[in-house]
Amino acid sequence: MPKFLVLYKWTLDEQDIKIKSDDLSLDASRAKGKISDFDRNAIEEAARIVEAKGGSVDVLTYGSAAVKQSLKDVLSRGADKAYWIADASAETADAVVTAKVLAAAIRKIGPYDVILTGEGSSDQFNQQTAPRVAALLGLPCLSLVHKLDVEAGTVSVTRKLAVCTEQATVSGPVVVSVLSDINKPRIPGLKQVLGAAKKPNEEIALGSLGVSPADLQPKAVRRSAKGFVMTRKNVVFKDANPADSVAKLVSSLVSEGLF
Amino acid sequence: MTGIFLFSEDPVLAKQLLTPALALKGALDQPITALALDGATAADLAALGADTVLLLQSASGWVEGLGDAVTDLVRAATVVLVGGTQRGKHLAAHVAAKLDAGLTTDAKSLAIEDGKLVTSRILYAGLAVGVEELAFPAVATIPPRSYPTPEAAQTPGSVETVAVTDDIRVTVTGTTPTESSGVDISLANKLVSVGRGFRSKDDLPLAEGLAAKLKGEVSCTRGIAEDEYWLPIERYIGISGQTVKPDLYLAVGLSGQVQHMVGARESKIIVAINSDERAPIFEAADYGIVGDLYAVLPLLTAAITS
Repeated sequence: MPKFLVLYKWTLDEQDIKIKSDDLSLDASRAKGKISDFDRNAIEEAARIVEAKGGSVDVLTYGSAAVKQSLKDVLSRGADKAYWIADASAETADAVVTAKVLAAAIRKIGPYDVILTGEGSSDQFNQQTAPRVAALLGLPCLSLVHKLDVEAGTVSVTRKLAVCTEQATVSGPVVVSVLSDINKPRIPGLKQVLGAAKKPNEEIALGSLGVSPADLQPKAVRRSAKGFVMTRKNVVFKDANPADSVAKLVSSLVSEGLF
Repeated sequence: MTGIFLFSEDPVLAKQLLTPALALKGALDQPITALALDGATAADLAALGADTVLLLQSASGWVEGLGDAVTDLVRAATVVLVGGTQRGKHLAAHVAAKLDAGLTTDAKSLAIEDGKLVTSRILYAGLAVGVEELAFPAVATIPPRSYPTPEAAQTPGSVETVAVTDDIRVTVTGTTPTESSGVDISLANKLVSVGRGFRSKDDLPLAEGLAAKLKGEVSCTRGIAEDEYWLPIERYIGISGQTVKPDLYLAVGLSGQVQHMVGARESKIIVAINSDERAPIFEAADYGIVGDLYAVLPLLTAAITS
């Protein structure tokens, strides 16, 4: 019976982030947290396999103190137990730091048969966590998985790449990143939300993981993040008769030199 | 640490990587070592400015499994550039982890400042651009078509053959090439892009007819390709799909979510057709028509004919 661990990130909902018009800085003061979109697919996939065949689903996250808010949500999505590491270092962590912390935590709470995560996080979309964690743990990694089967210790996947689809198998523990089209994540109902409150969660103190202060220093340091502003003409035609709008559009495109 | 290293399993992209590598060589005064998987690409890279090319003899050729082997070859690197294909990004993350190095995914720009690699990339699905500085050794993946192929070098480099070990824990049991219509939408000069405003696959000829009149191609949103399967994956535009820069991007029945627009926002002229006046696509467009695409598209197609 497979033991799954799903790595998830508690991110800001990018829909709530506003760009300040004066200096293009980002205003996240009204942004709510969410479980990173593609990580929901990873949780869903593990939960579905366990519901069909048995096994267990633990989840693990590393973030700022805000990650505590994610526990009920993640446990209502099919996870059995949540592990969380809340530390201020996460605010500046790059993929190097994140992978080291997650790998150290997995060494402590593992082993697991399948370590799953989404193809990338909704905020950074670095797409580094799965291969990095696998490299640090010395495990093979199958990324961009669109179909996952776990049978008697053998993990078989279909990966979907731009150039091809690829079938691959691994015997023994493996790190897998899933694509968003692998499933449609459930929307937790009242029963799941109430059930989540009874499920266990456990804080892992960063200090207990043997990660040195130097390991918490990012190798990629963010200098700035500025809103991307698209300056467009924003000429909108909304004539009652669409033919009028079309005529105006065509004449505009002619004057742009497009025809 | 000395040396600029580059790798892509895509021969065209590998040659494009030489352009930023040559710029880094100018800034750092360090030689370029290119890694290649086939002899023809190795020869090309040597001719185009790589000082040394290492021709990897991989039995499986499975790029994602070459992480440890590539790490050993690039251990002396100051900067490692990897072609930003999906396989390349996987490999780069493994190598960066083993080098204990920072990695910028899909770098839009590269510069050397004060002994660091300064890169920019997209954040929050296109909402923002982040600038980060990476200590050496630094790794970056570069999206396809970011740079031109350089001119032939005055002095060609040398090619050495290197035996490498694959990741034998992973067995690739089958590969099916993506069915390709042979159309590369990133090369199209005009695109008619389809969103969920289309009620059925049967209505796609409306877009195809207009694209034909424009001598362009039809592209789409991720939902149309990946949820509805109306159009092939290679035609969807967005953060995880294609990036295009046509002269005309005609967005029809799509709302203009940032995840989509990030792939189209470098188009010269963007036109929106949408029945919802408040759809964000109008803010991202030069010209727009608020109206029913089923009425507007036939009129527009006819107007362009005449």
